[in-house]
Amino acid sequence: MSGVAIVGVGQTTYRRSHPDMSSRELIWAASKEALDDAGLSIRDIDVVIAGVAPDALAGEASVERSGIMGIGKPYVRVNTGGVTGSSTFFAGASYIKAGRAKAVLVFALERMGQATTSQQVFNTIFDPVYEKDFPLTTITMAALRASMLMRLYGYTEQHWARIASRSYQNARRNPLAHLHLDVSPEDVLKSPLLAWPIHRYEACPMSEGACAMVLMAKDSIGARKPVWVQGYASTSDSYAMGDRIHRPEATLVDLLSLRLSAEKAYKEAGVTNPVKEIRVVELYSAFSSAEAMAYPALGLCKAEEGPRFVERQFTDPSLPAFNPSGGPQGANPVSATAMVRIAECALQVRGTAGDRQVDGVERAVATGQGGATQFSTVCVLGKNPVH
Amino acid sequence: MATHKPQVFIDSAALEISWRDERRNLSELIFDTVRRAIDEGGAGMTGINSVVLAAHDLVDGRSLSSMVTAPAAGAYLRDEIRYGDDGAAAFAAAVVRIEAGEAERSIVAAWGRASEHDVDSVSRALFGPLFGTPLGLEELHVSAMRAQSWIQAGGQCDARAEAVARRRDAARANPRALRGAGSASQPSYPLAPDDLPRWADVVAAVIISSRPGGPRVTGMGQSSEPFAIGDRELAAMPGLARAAQQALAEANVAAGNLDVVEIDGLTLFDEALAAEAIGVAAKGEGLNTLARDRRVNPSGGSAAGYCAPAMGLARIVEATLHLQGRAGTNQVAGARRAMATGSSIVAAQTHTAIVLEGI
Repeated sequence: MSGVAIVGVGQTTYRRSHPDMSSRELIWAASKEALDDAGLSIRDIDVVIAGVAPDALAGEASVERSGIMGIGKPYVRVNTGGVTGSSTFFAGASYIKAGRAKAVLVFALERMGQATTSQQVFNTIFDPVYEKDFPLTTITMAALRASMLMRLYGYTEQHWARIASRSYQNARRNPLAHLHLDVSPEDVLKSPLLAWPIHRYEACPMSEGACAMVLMAKDSIGARKPVWVQGYASTSDSYAMGDRIHRPEATLVDLLSLRLSAEKAYKEAGVTNPVKEIRVVELYSAFSSAEAMAYPALGLCKAEEGPRFVERQFTDPSLPAFNPSGGPQGANPVSATAMVRIAECALQVRGTAGDRQVDGVERAVATGQGGATQFSTVCVLGKNPVH
Repeated sequence: MATHKPQVFIDSAALEISWRDERRNLSELIFDTVRRAIDEGGAGMTGINSVVLAAHDLVDGRSLSSMVTAPAAGAYLRDEIRYGDDGAAAFAAAVVRIEAGEAERSIVAAWGRASEHDVDSVSRALFGPLFGTPLGLEELHVSAMRAQSWIQAGGQCDARAEAVARRRDAARANPRALRGAGSASQPSYPLAPDDLPRWADVVAAVIISSRPGGPRVTGMGQSSEPFAIGDRELAAMPGLARAAQQALAEANVAAGNLDVVEIDGLTLFDEALAAEAIGVAAKGEGLNTLARDRRVNPSGGSAAGYCAPAMGLARIVEATLHLQGRAGTNQVAGARRAMATGSSIVAAQTHTAIVLEGI
């Protein structure tokens, strides 16, 4: 088996829409930047893996096909909803680990700026017979979880607001972010209520853009500066939310799929004390409650300590930095968001994250979250390969 | 394949082709076929730690198909990934996972339910909203253009009627083929009704494993072609030719030594061009081969029932059953080596070829 490293990262800016660029141009812009970063051309790539989530968001079918690169090479599309970006990355890593490729280009594209309303589309991801007529959307789905967290563990609206405000402030240091807003916790609480307890400024925006990375086998890296993929894992849970509320393994807000993924990825990476050994955590947390659910699942605190863990983040510099890029609050190009998390971790580990760079990053963790909070991914990156 | 990699074997395979089964919803169709593949494997869910799926949201009529359907395919608390690509590409990805040491046993499933969607409308949506879709272009139109280009380039049509009859007879003899109506699209010249696929509801599933058992995966190849139809070489399938050459080279076998070749082609002419690309037919002789070579598409090809993106995996199931001697009335006697191919949207833009060897 071959070790896998990230040797190139490319991202477009993330905006509400890119009316000046076709899907093909967005794909190429991110991919060219990643290839240039790696010092490679498309001819050097063995396999191309594309990630695009629901076609309905773009109102265009199979947009990735028009942007095909490296014609003649293996080229496939992954679609796993919110975790599309990380699933695509993992699929590319598998080709290298299997020895079927030396260099793989992975990219993820989101064109949801072409959708009139994302929530109308998201209503159609649910069961068409029983749930579609019920006003279930990703926002109301998150609100159900947030209220459960408040009841079980004592989170308050203030906690949600502080998490959201922190992400907005971080996004101001990220030139690629979609939103650069000076939002305080009070501003979050004053913003319109979408579905209690979620306010507008707690919800992620609709963003367009593309992210790409070049992965390379250990024995091909040469003089490039690698970021090592130390461990990764993906787990799918039951679709039925009702079945997840009272089952013995975990409740709905325990994020069992993320916990199982973290355990596996940490084991691969040799992480035994995550709160000490991980400096940066880039979370796919489209809402503050999603971030709170991730803390215990990632082994960073116990579930009942969650509210206090939020408060400690503002006073204890030894804790990991959460979403220094601004996370999905700063930009949420759904198909790409989970890949952006990995890309941002790679920049942090490499020390090239610009104004959003966190000091002393030896290891970083990126998560992905999708479906009815049922698809979870964890990816551990570090300065050193795992032996 | 490199010797240090785990070898990959097919434990079991199942295929169901139906039409508008009012007793079962999509999840139930998927569950039934995956369950059958698991049961036929004889080891239950033991060791299954990977689920690789192929499905299209537009075909399934759900904005995120696998959200509702993945659990029915065995994904509960397992590592699962869904490809918006052909089932053979998903199969290749599942093999890669085992070779990478990431999985021990894997479910691979692919499906499409033509009775629940307007196949032609979905096809039109694939061609780009500015130029292709307003023109009314569909994948079957590209197949017609491909057939015309092939004829103009000297493709031999003398045995066309014979090829149609053989394909129809093979589908009738295939116990897994569509029984009942299905549906069909309108043909475009030079295609005729008998050249077209019979739209159906298709679910295919296989269980693959690193433990020696059933047929072994000895070669894989994947390739791609340009998006724009004008940029393609229509009278041939260079992407499939590359994928097939790669798979045959890896398996160290010549096309002429294959005992069964299960080709995923949308129409009779696509199957003929594919036979040439793979190397089981000489250039221009694809229809003659389909008419006379019993090794090629003993299943009846797209006449046995068709719905993307299940067909590449359906071809793999058919090839597997022949190697296991379980294909039924259309069994190719003594089959030891087989190739199965899969092509995906848009109009066969990406290709996968798999070579299997019986134990």
